[in-house]
Amino acid sequence: MSKQPRIGRRRWYPRWPVRTAATFHRLRWPGTRRPVMRFEGRYNPKTLKRERVLKDKRSTWWVLGLAALFIFPVATGSSQLLSIATIALIYAAINVMWTLIIGTAGILSLASLATVGVGAFAATYFSVNYHFPWPIMLAIGTGFGLLLGFIVSLPVRRLDGMYYALLTLGVTQLLNDFVSQSSALGSGYNGSMLGADQIIPDTIKFARSGETLGFIAAFIVLLLALAVFRWVNGGRLGLTLRAASTSTEDESFVQALGVNIQRDRTMVFLIASAALGFIGGFYATYTGGASVNLFSLDQLLLLLAMLVIGGIGRAEGAVVGTVIVVTFTEWFSSWGPWRILIVGALMLASVLITRAGLFGTKNQFEEFRERRKALSRSSRSSRYSEYLPEEAPEIHDKQVIVDRSFERNLRIRLRGWITPEAIEEHRRKPLGQHSDHLERMLNYFRRTPLANKYAVWCDTPFERYRVVALSGQPGVPPRLVDDKIYGSLDEAYHAVFLRRVNDLSAST
Amino acid sequence: MTIGALIVSTLVLASMYGLVAIGISITWSSIAMLNLAAGFIFTGAGYTAYVVSQWLVPLNWPTQALAVVTVASGMVGGALFGLLVGAVAFLPLNDRPNFQVRSLIATLAISIIGTQLWMLFFGPESKPLPQIFGLSFHNLGWISFSNGQVGTVVVSVVVLAVVILWMRSSRNGLQMRAMMMNPLGAAVIGVSVRKTGMRVLAIAGALTGMASVLLAQTFFVSPTSGVQPLAVGLIISLAGGLGSIPGTVAAAFLIALIEAVTARYLSPSLVPFGQFLLVIIILIVRPRGLGGLLEDVRE
Repeated sequence: MSKQPRIGRRRWYPRWPVRTAATFHRLRWPGTRRPVMRFEGRYNPKTLKRERVLKDKRSTWWVLGLAALFIFPVATGSSQLLSIATIALIYAAINVMWTLIIGTAGILSLASLATVGVGAFAATYFSVNYHFPWPIMLAIGTGFGLLLGFIVSLPVRRLDGMYYALLTLGVTQLLNDFVSQSSALGSGYNGSMLGADQIIPDTIKFARSGETLGFIAAFIVLLLALAVFRWVNGGRLGLTLRAASTSTEDESFVQALGVNIQRDRTMVFLIASAALGFIGGFYATYTGGASVNLFSLDQLLLLLAMLVIGGIGRAEGAVVGTVIVVTFTEWFSSWGPWRILIVGALMLASVLITRAGLFGTKNQFEEFRERRKALSRSSRSSRYSEYLPEEAPEIHDKQVIVDRSFERNLRIRLRGWITPEAIEEHRRKPLGQHSDHLERMLNYFRRTPLANKYAVWCDTPFERYRVVALSGQPGVPPRLVDDKIYGSLDEAYHAVFLRRVNDLSAST
Repeated sequence: MTIGALIVSTLVLASMYGLVAIGISITWSSIAMLNLAAGFIFTGAGYTAYVVSQWLVPLNWPTQALAVVTVASGMVGGALFGLLVGAVAFLPLNDRPNFQVRSLIATLAISIIGTQLWMLFFGPESKPLPQIFGLSFHNLGWISFSNGQVGTVVVSVVVLAVVILWMRSSRNGLQMRAMMMNPLGAAVIGVSVRKTGMRVLAIAGALTGMASVLLAQTFFVSPTSGVQPLAVGLIISLAGGLGSIPGTVAAAFLIALIEAVTARYLSPSLVPFGQFLLVIIILIVRPRGLGGLLEDVRE
């Protein structure tokens, strides 16, 4: 017997016994029909008691993860960690919106960091020159983000894939050169512009309370970004686009249903661009200005690495990928060039090993397990059962499968015992004691079902016998098998035996 | 006088960028992999030539032999690094789902890792290569050029012609072109996707390596010296239409002209600005690049 592949266990879902009417009650988001958590009320199939099953554990993980992300930097109390965490949160918010563009809308745009940069520079410019307070800076950032998004979205219908990516990269490069050449914008140290109104009041700017305030504000921005992601990706726009994004055929199918894919795509792009502009405005209010670094290719690659490591197309991937990469690049800053090397290696590993980043591994593993299951099932069926592996799960009474496989094995063994010696032994003495193998064969023949079972028909006692087959139904007479007439009962017995042996050797 | 210098520098830049861009272009059209590790191959070939020449200089070989060996070592190094990129990013991913995006990211990761590795091995400072063509200067009335400029143009045109001729007339070239036209069809009639893909990567790497040695005559080899040729090669191959060699050559001339004009009449720091502006205009007018029809065939 070859080694059986391991199959793995069933999915586990948390469940609670419930005795009240709450079993079938669901909490919903106010104003919508969308449930907060996917509870399923049911009767336990074994105990028949009422219980609630949590079918989707993701919301729990989100709450726990975000709580950890919030509590850990505040609780450790390191000022360096707090500022790194704030930057990580801003990057995470940018990545969540970028995921919306690349994943949901399926537009390979590399201009998202540039949109943030435009929002940041616009907000800083207006704040420095016209002394706008920070809430208006956020609005200005949003507006300019939307404007850039609109301009960049114009050629999106004409170009596809790599060509559009190159175009957006070109836009980023143009903005980079424009800002670093411009005397009004990038004239400060390292092409930066400072002096904008800040969300943190000047009095507590360098105190711990100020850092905490900035951190909390960044956390709120991330929550807003996640809310926008959920609103767009989980809503009608996201659903149609995700239905369309799997392949080109599906796209034409969804279009045939009356969905204007291009318009929906542009819509998502514009929403995400406005949100990115908002994040840019927030960036300006947090750092008190903007830097040309926002348009640099290195920064863009780092953000791309975050998306790739986490998994493109999922908000959780964007957030966790950001945390991983920022941990390496900022927290281990003493490692020098090695940290970039590690980020590159992580990127390479995630692309070579996983199909869709860290958060695609679950699906990938489940698919792998399904394959192993099917393999194991088919190897089992070829050895024991006469059922096809596809058939087996549909038969409710598993005893039937076991019975049939037992019978089949028995027949296979008996077939090996059909020898001329055994037949000769039976011919000489149809009744009475026989050798072991012949006895076992006869036992098997005796307990076969009545339908089509061979029997001896007596025309005239001691003179004429025939072989018949029983109908197996009450009231339906047996049918004659052939015209042969046997002169003695023993001859008739042997004729029946030969027919049964013949059927046995022809069976599967 | 200035017009002549402009033409010369355009030709030199176009021939060097064209080599890198054609490498990227044929890689894309035959195995659908946008090779962002071209910069890594470029730098790797430069360092190979540097190590070989360091090893040869004390032997006091004649200049011509040294030049040939330097160029050859650059090309061999480029081919080897191309095969390395293929072994990491092409062979393991070749038959996996989502190959295009995954191989793109893999090559990007290779180039990120590669830059850091060069930094660790060779340090941040630039390394010079021996002068292959000498330093003499010619003046033909209104046009004047150095030996190096002529050598660069001639060598790259000759090598490119050899490669194109080989692709047109040899059996391996036929396999490559079959894969460019229809990868699935080529696989069905018995062209090995893996072997041909690796061969394409080696050739593209050799072209890139030669461009590296030629460019190292003016700009020395440093860990980040591959970034600019990669960016320019990428925009040329896309603006020329991925997979179209005539389109790529035309785009190389346009981009090189823009670079020469911008650097001469405006400011060298505005060069990327001008190049990207040109590409954006090209892409808006012709969304699949100058010669791009192949993309429709690929679908």
